[in-house]
Formats: sequence, C-alpha cells, structure tokens
Amino acid sequence: MKKIYQIKALILVMTITIMAASCKTEKVLQQKEALKDITGSWQVIKATRNGTDLTPIIDFSAFKINFASGGYTLVNKLPFLVDKDGAFALDDPEYPYKITFTAAGKTPIATAFTYPIVNGKRQLSLTFSPGCTNNSYVYVLQKVN
Amino acid sequence: MRTSLHIKGKHLWRICTCLILGIVLACCGEVITGVDQPTTAKVGDIVPITVHISIPTAGNGGPDYLVLGILVPKGWKAAQNTTITYTSPLGDGTMSLIPDGSLPKNGGGLTWSGYMKKTFGNAGNLIDDMEWVAYQTDKAYIHEGGHTITGDLNIKMKVAADGNNTLVKLGYVITDTGNGFISDGNGTYFSQVSTPCFEVTGGSGDIVDFCNPQLTIVDPPKSLDNDFVTLTFDGNVVATPVSGEAEVYLCATAYTDDGKTITVCEQTAKTLMKQTSATSKRYQITFWPRSFFNATDTQTIVKMEYFVTNKAGTAKVGYGNTAEPFVYTFKCG
Repeated sequence: MKKIYQIKALILVMTITIMAASCKTEKVLQQKEALKDITGSWQVIKATRNGTDLTPIIDFSAFKINFASGGYTLVNKLPFLVDKDGAFALDDPEYPYKITFTAAGKTPIATAFTYPIVNGKRQLSLTFSPGCTNNSYVYVLQKVN
Repeated sequence: MRTSLHIKGKHLWRICTCLILGIVLACCGEVITGVDQPTTAKVGDIVPITVHISIPTAGNGGPDYLVLGILVPKGWKAAQNTTITYTSPLGDGTMSLIPDGSLPKNGGGLTWSGYMKKTFGNAGNLIDDMEWVAYQTDKAYIHEGGHTITGDLNIKMKVAADGNNTLVKLGYVITDTGNGFISDGNGTYFSQVSTPCFEVTGGSGDIVDFCNPQLTIVDPPKSLDNDFVTLTFDGNVVATPVSGEAEVYLCATAYTDDGKTITVCEQTAKTLMKQTSATSKRYQITFWPRSFFNATDTQTIVKMEYFVTNKAGTAKVGYGNTAEPFVYTFKCG
C-alpha cells in the first residue's frame, strides 16, 4: 500500500515537472535579415521609356554601373540618374527602398528602387527621369557574372 | 379560386410590363448637341467655347453631378487656364476640376482624366501629348421622369499657354458621376465630340500640328538632350526625294547653349534609320542626343535641325517635303 502511494507521488512529481517544463517560454531566435550588398558590376537587362521598351533598340551592353564600398563608377555612360562618378547610399541596409547617388560635386539624387530575386538572381530596378521630368525611365539591372 | 388567381396573374403581368418599360425609359443618356468654338485664335487668347447639352430623362435617378472632359494639348496647362460656368433650367452654376482622389464609379481605379484617356485616347489627334481635363458641376441633379434637361456649358480657356503655334482637334465628353462611360440596356450614358482642326497662331515657338500626318515625329514629344529620343520618318505621308530608297539616314545639326553648332551628317550605322517592318515605309532611329552629337559636359543642346537623306547623301527631305530643315527644340514645357 505504501508503495502505491510512493508510485503515485512519483507520478505526481513527474507530471508537475513535465507540465512546469512545458510552460517554459522558448526564446525566439532572432532571424537577422541579410544586409543587402549591391557591390559589384551591374548591367541593364531591360529598359523602358514611358512604358516603351528600349531594350531592342538601344545597345545597353557596354553600359555598366560598378558599386564598390567607396562609391560607384559609370562605364560607357548612357542617360542615368547621375552623369558623373561619386558616392551612393542605401537608406536602410536591411530593407532598402531608396538609393541615393551623390555625383562628385553635385547634390544627392535619391530614387526608389526594388531589389527582387528573379530566376535566382538579384535584380535592381531603378526609376528616374534624366531629361524632362515627364519622361520616366525604368532600368532593370543585373550583376555581371 | 382559379378566377381570382387568374386576375392576380394579370396584375402581375401589368406590373412587370410597367416596371420593364420604366427601366427602359429611365435612360438618362447625356448628349452633346453641339459645340460653338472659333476656328482660330492667337496665342494667349481667352477663347469662349459653348457646349450645348441635352439630358433626356424619363425614369428617376440621381442625384448625380454632370461631368465634362476637355481634350487639350498638355502644354496649354488647361487646368490652370480654364473657367467653366453652366446655364440650365435647373439653375446656373460653375464647374470645377475633379480632384484626382475622386474616382469615377466605373473607371476601374483610374482617375477621371485617366478614364477619359483610356476610353477616348487622343480622339483623332496624331501626337500623344494631349490630356483630358475633367470638371464637374457644383450641384447635383436628379433625373426625373418625363422631361429633357437642356443646358449650355460655357468654357473660357486661355489657349497655347506654351507659346506654340498649334493645330489641334479639341475634344469634349460629358457623362455623370452616377454612370461614366458605359452603355447598357437603358442607353448610353455619355457623349463625346471631336471638333475640326483648331488653329492657334502668333506664337514664338515651334508649330505643333496634332491634326495632320507629319513626315517626322519625335518621341517623347517633349524631351531634353539627356533623354533617349526616337525620330520616325513616315514615308507614307507624301512622295519625297527619298521614296523608294531601301535605307534612309539622319543628317542633323545641333545648336548648343554656348552658341556652337555640331553637325552629324554621315551615312553610317550611327545615323541609319531602320525600317520598322519590311514594307512599313516608316524609318526609325533612337539616340541619346548628348552622345550622338558628342556634346561636352558643359554644353547643353537647345535645338536640332535635321534632314532625312538617301544612302548616297544626294537626296534629302526637309520640313513639309521642302529644302528647309525640320526643327526640334529640346524643352519640357
């Protein structure tokens, strides 16, 4: 009879332990969003002007934007946000939605951009008006391999 | 019992017939019955235009606001340069711009201006540099059975605020806020009218001709030397010295802000105007003027004069098929 009590007590203790353990709050692991690294050489894979596709009629193959830690450089220039080399900045390295170009000796120019992954590759889509403000261009850039 | 049921059915039919008739007659299709508009004006004139309208109503509807859209060249900035009043048997009043936040009921999320552009386009004008400016009445009206509301919309618009001599087909459309550009079994709830070519003279700028097919078209219509510019030569408009040529080339002179001229007149890949399709007789070149003319960093190209030549460079076409060059001014306004 005593044994039964002991067993019962044991079961009770175990149950309490298990229940107590189940109440323990788990610490949520902080998932850190990867910093968006755009350093590298980028080229235009699609371009539109006021919605008209320019890709088949303009040779964009030579135009490159090189982003490095210190700033950006333009190779074989075409109409763009800036026409001189300089510095760039993202508004938020984790969730950037704005990029600012500061050409040497010029005032900073900011524009909204998207940074989607298409077919496993990062793309950089920039919207801007290099000439008249009514003329809107979209360049979709991809890193050069 | 049977007889009483029969009578009930008879009543039902009568009610149904009246109801259907009522719905059919409830049509409230606005109609533009005429537009009084001068045929010419001088740049900067305030032009009086009267749009006569008729709103036949038989059933009950509303209250809705009357909507008027005016199709004008963007450069005229009509929204800032137009006042509209109306007179009607229901009272007189004014019409004001519809704010962009006030969306049409059946416009699929577009603004009134966008909805008009989507539905009516450039209404017969050949250069896509026009806009629909949308106005609505200050008071709503009820469409009540049996009578027709007629009225006049009196527009006073300053024309050609951009200083350009212009040929343009002004357009007008009316509808009401309860419907929009729809038709159904009850009728059509809108009316659109394009007027004959209206001419504005006395300006200092280029001639902008929206009415007549042009030998060359520049897209975008307003651009600077740092835009990509597409120049199209249309060989279908009239027989020219380069008609029948397989290849045509651009021969152009740029005028810079420091008083210099830069001429690119060669027949090479750089100046080749490609035919858009094998038989289209439309030849096109897209270029970045700063690079095409090799302008220095400190130079701005303010205008260009150009010809279209044959491959040998011996035959050339200019403005209006003459020996005078086409002129394009780089500007945004």
